Amino acid sequence: MGAPTWDEFAELALARVRRSGVEYGDIRIQRSVTGHVRGEDGRIASVRDAEDGGFGVRVLYHGAWGFAASSVLSLEDVPRVADLAVELAKHAASIATEKVRLVEEPVYRDRVVTAVRIDPYTVPLEKKTGLLLETMETLHGRPDIVRSTAEIWWCRDRKRFQSTEGTVLDFDLSAVNGSLSATALFNGRFATRSFNLPYLRQGYELIEETRWSEEAIRVAREAVEKVRAPAVADGVYDLVLDPEHLSLTIHESCGHPSELDRALGYEANYAGTSFLTPEKRGTFRFGSPHVTLVADNTEPGTLAATGYDDDGVACQTWDIVREGVFVGYCTNREVAPKIGETRSRGSNRADGWGSVPIVRIANIGLEPGEQTLDRLIADVKRGIYIEGHGSYSIDQRRYNFQFGGDAFWLIENGRRTRMLRDVIYHGITPEFWNSCDGVADRSFRRRYGFITCGKGQPVQSGWMTHAASPALFRRVHVIRGGEES
Amino acid sequence: MSLSASNPWPKMTSRDEFRFLADVIFSRSSGDHTVVTLHDERAGTTRFADNRVIQNVDTRRGLLTATVSFGRRHGTASTTDFTAGAVQDMVARAERIARAAPEDPEYLPPPDPQPFPVRETAREETIADGPVRRHEYANEAMSLCRMENLMAAGIVSSSVASVGVAADNGLFGCETRTKAQFSLTVQAGDGTGETGATGWSAAAHRSIDHLKIQERTLAAIDKAKRSREARDLPPGDYPVVLEPAAVAGLWSWLIWTLDAKSYEKGTSPFAGQLGSRIVDKRLTLSNVPNHADLFGVGFTSEGLPSEPSQWIEDGRLKQLAYDRFTAHTHGIKSIPTLESPVLSVKGASFGNVRELLKQIDRAVLVTNFWYIRSVNLRDLTLTGMTRDGTFLVENGHVVCPVKNFRFHESPLRVFQDVGVATVPTEAVTPEAGKMLVPAMALPRFHFSSVTRF
Repeated sequence: MGAPTWDEFAELALARVRRSGVEYGDIRIQRSVTGHVRGEDGRIASVRDAEDGGFGVRVLYHGAWGFAASSVLSLEDVPRVADLAVELAKHAASIATEKVRLVEEPVYRDRVVTAVRIDPYTVPLEKKTGLLLETMETLHGRPDIVRSTAEIWWCRDRKRFQSTEGTVLDFDLSAVNGSLSATALFNGRFATRSFNLPYLRQGYELIEETRWSEEAIRVAREAVEKVRAPAVADGVYDLVLDPEHLSLTIHESCGHPSELDRALGYEANYAGTSFLTPEKRGTFRFGSPHVTLVADNTEPGTLAATGYDDDGVACQTWDIVREGVFVGYCTNREVAPKIGETRSRGSNRADGWGSVPIVRIANIGLEPGEQTLDRLIADVKRGIYIEGHGSYSIDQRRYNFQFGGDAFWLIENGRRTRMLRDVIYHGITPEFWNSCDGVADRSFRRRYGFITCGKGQPVQSGWMTHAASPALFRRVHVIRGGEES
Repeated sequence: MSLSASNPWPKMTSRDEFRFLADVIFSRSSGDHTVVTLHDERAGTTRFADNRVIQNVDTRRGLLTATVSFGRRHGTASTTDFTAGAVQDMVARAERIARAAPEDPEYLPPPDPQPFPVRETAREETIADGPVRRHEYANEAMSLCRMENLMAAGIVSSSVASVGVAADNGLFGCETRTKAQFSLTVQAGDGTGETGATGWSAAAHRSIDHLKIQERTLAAIDKAKRSREARDLPPGDYPVVLEPAAVAGLWSWLIWTLDAKSYEKGTSPFAGQLGSRIVDKRLTLSNVPNHADLFGVGFTSEGLPSEPSQWIEDGRLKQLAYDRFTAHTHGIKSIPTLESPVLSVKGASFGNVRELLKQIDRAVLVTNFWYIRSVNLRDLTLTGMTRDGTFLVENGHVVCPVKNFRFHESPLRVFQDVGVATVPTEAVTPEAGKMLVPAMALPRFHFSSVTRF
C-alpha cells in the first residue's frame, strides 16, 4: 500500500470537520520549492534550495473561525489538526459578538498551471552562477564601483484547495525573478543603482530573455553618475514617474487603502486602517480624471492571477478608481457582505499552508492614457523624472506618504537633462493623485511584482503585480534626503 | 474547556532527537563539512479587532537545513519533512549544489566546537498554558475596552521552538525557546477616518505570565482617550520626549547598520568612526543576553555563542557586527552578537515617563513611530510617522493631543545631545522587536510634515 494521496488526506480532514458540525471548512495542502542564487561583491555568496510542505485546516463554527496547520502530513496529524481547528473555532465562538457570514460562490473543480517554457530546475546551476559572476564582473568594470549584487530566484507551488462546499482546486504555480545592483563610492559618498526583473509567473525564459550584460553596463554607469550628481534643491516640481516607481506608489497609496478588511478595522493593530472608508465608495474623488486604477487578477503572468484565491473564489477584474472616483475594494467572502456586496472579489490569500488567508491587494494597475512619454516630458518646465524604488513610508491610514526612487533626472524646459541625487517627495494621497495630469499610452505599460508585502499578525508576505505607464504629476513637494554634502 | 488538555500537541524535536537527526545527516553526507540547523516551532495567535476574535490560529512547522561544503564550494538545502527519505534527499540536494557551485573566496569551515552558555530561554508556563491564556487574555483586553465603549484590536500569541545547530566537527547546540506577545490598539471614535483616535501598548516576554495584560490595556485605553480631538501643530523642529518604543524604533536602524563589511567597503554611515564618539557621551549600548526580560539565546544560527558585550560605550563606537569572514580577515576570534540590546543613559534616574515629563517645559511626546525607513544611509537619515499617541507637553503636563507628524531625521544627529531620561525600560515594537531602552528628552527633532489625524 502506498502513502495516502492528497485526495485522501483532504477527504479525511473535511469528513472530520463536517462531523464536528462546522458550517464551513477547507484544507490547503501545499508543497513549495524555492531556489535562490545570490551573488555579492563578485562572488557567489549562497545557493539555496528550500522545500516547504504542510497543510492548514480552516473552519467556521457558529460564525467563528479556527485555523490549525502542520508541516507533518500524516494519517495521525491530519485528524489531530482538523480537530484542533474546530476547537479553536469553538473557543472563538464562545465569546463571539457577531457571526461571520460568507457570501456565496459557485463550486469549482479545476486545475491551474503556470505556463512555463523553461523549468528553472532543468537549467544547470553552473549556467546560473556563471551568468551572475559575469554580471558582477561587468558591474565592477568601472573603478568607482565598490559593491555589487546579482541574484536569481525561482519558486514552484503545488497546492490543493478543497472545501466542504465541494470545491476542489489544484494549482501548479511558478514564478521567477532576478536583479542586479552596483554601489559607487566617490569622495566618501556612496550611491546604489539597481535593475530588477518584474517577478512574473513564468519560467526561466524570463532570465534568458534579459540582457544582463547590457543592463549591468548601464547600471554601473548610472551608479557612477548618480554618486557624482548634485543633490536636489528643495522645492515644488512636476514629477514624471516611471512604471517601476509607480508600482510602489500604487501599492502603498492605492492598493492598501483599497483592502476592505483594513477599512473595517481588522488591521488596526499593525498594518493600519484606511482613509477610504465605505461611505466614500462611489463619491470620493481619489484622483484626477486621468486616474483609473483597475484590479485585474486575470492577466496571465501576474502574481495574483492564480485562477482562484484561498477562499476558492474565481479571480476577477474590477475597478478600484474610475476616472478619479473611488468605486471598489479588494474583498473576500467574509468582508464583502459588510458593504452589501453579494460576491467576493477573490482577493483572499495566504502566504503558505501555515497561514490563514487574509484580504490582499489585487493586481492593481494604472490604466494607460493617450500620450507618448516624450509628450509628457515636453509638457514639463521644471521637473524630475524618477525611476525605480527607493525609500518609502506612509502613515497607517495611508494619507501622508514619502517616496524616494532609484534614479532621478532633472527635466528642464521639456527635456530630460542631468542626473540628481537624494530626491524625496511627499504628499497626501488624494491630493497627489488629483495632481495627475496625464498618463502615457499602452506601449509604455510595464508590470512589476511584489512578494514581500507585509500584512497580518503573524505577518504574512503578499504577492501581487502593479502595472503602469509613466505618469505626470504637477507641483509636488520635493525635499533633499539627508544632510551630508 | 482546555485546549492543551483536549488536544495535546506532539512534542517538539528534543535535544537527543536533533543529535540523532544531525548524526544521520553527517553519515549520509560526503562533504568535507556539513552543518545542520533545526527550527521546530509551534506558534499560536488569537487575533481580535472590533472587540471580537477574528483569527484563532495554531501552526507547527519543523525546518531542517543542511549546508554541505567541498573545499570552498558550498550549497544549502532545507526541508520541512523529517522523514528519512526527505532528509536523505535534502542532503543530496545540498551536495549537488556544492559540487556545481563555484568556489567562494569567503567560505569558512564551521566554527570550532565550544560549550554554549546555558540560558533560561524557555518558560514552562508559556508551553503549558499558552493556548488557553491567549484566549483569556484577548477576552480580558476586549472586556476592558468594551467597558469604556472603546474598540480593541490586537493579538495575544505564544510559541515554543526547538532550535539547534550542529556540525560534523563536533559543534553542537540545542535549546528550547519560548515567546509570548501581547499587542493592543485601542480606537476611540471611528478609528479609521480623520477624527478617530488611537492608543497602543505592547509586551513580549519568554513567560506568558509577564505580559501584564491589564496594565498594558489600561495604558492603551488612556492614550486613546487622551488622543481625541487632536490639534494641528505646524511641521518644524521641536523638543521631543520619546517613549521607549519610539527610541527603540530609531535605535534598531542604528543597530542594523553596524555591519563590518559595509564599514570596510566605505558604504556605512559609520565609515571611519570606529573608536570615535558617534552619539552623546552618556549613552552606552550593550548586549545583555542573561537579562530575564530580554530574548537572550545560548548560540546563533551560525554556531556562535551569545555573550555579554559592549557596542557603544560613553558615546564611542566600540564594536561592529562582523560576519565570520570579515572577522577572520581582522583576526577577530570572538564575534560579539547583539540580540539582547540594552541602551542606557548615564545618570538617568527617572523610573517612568510620567516622572520625566515633570521636568519638561515644552515638547512633543511620541508614543511610537511607524513605518521607519532609511532615506539616506550615508548619514542614516530616516523617515517615519508618529503613531498611536502624540501629545503636546507644557510645564510638565500633557496639555493636548496633536496630529501625527512625519519625521525626517538621523539618530546620529538627534542622539548627539540627550536631555533627561528614564532608566532602561522594556520596549516592544512590531518592526524592532524587543530592547531595553530609556524614554528620553531630545532638544531638537525635525518633523517634516503633518498628516490628517
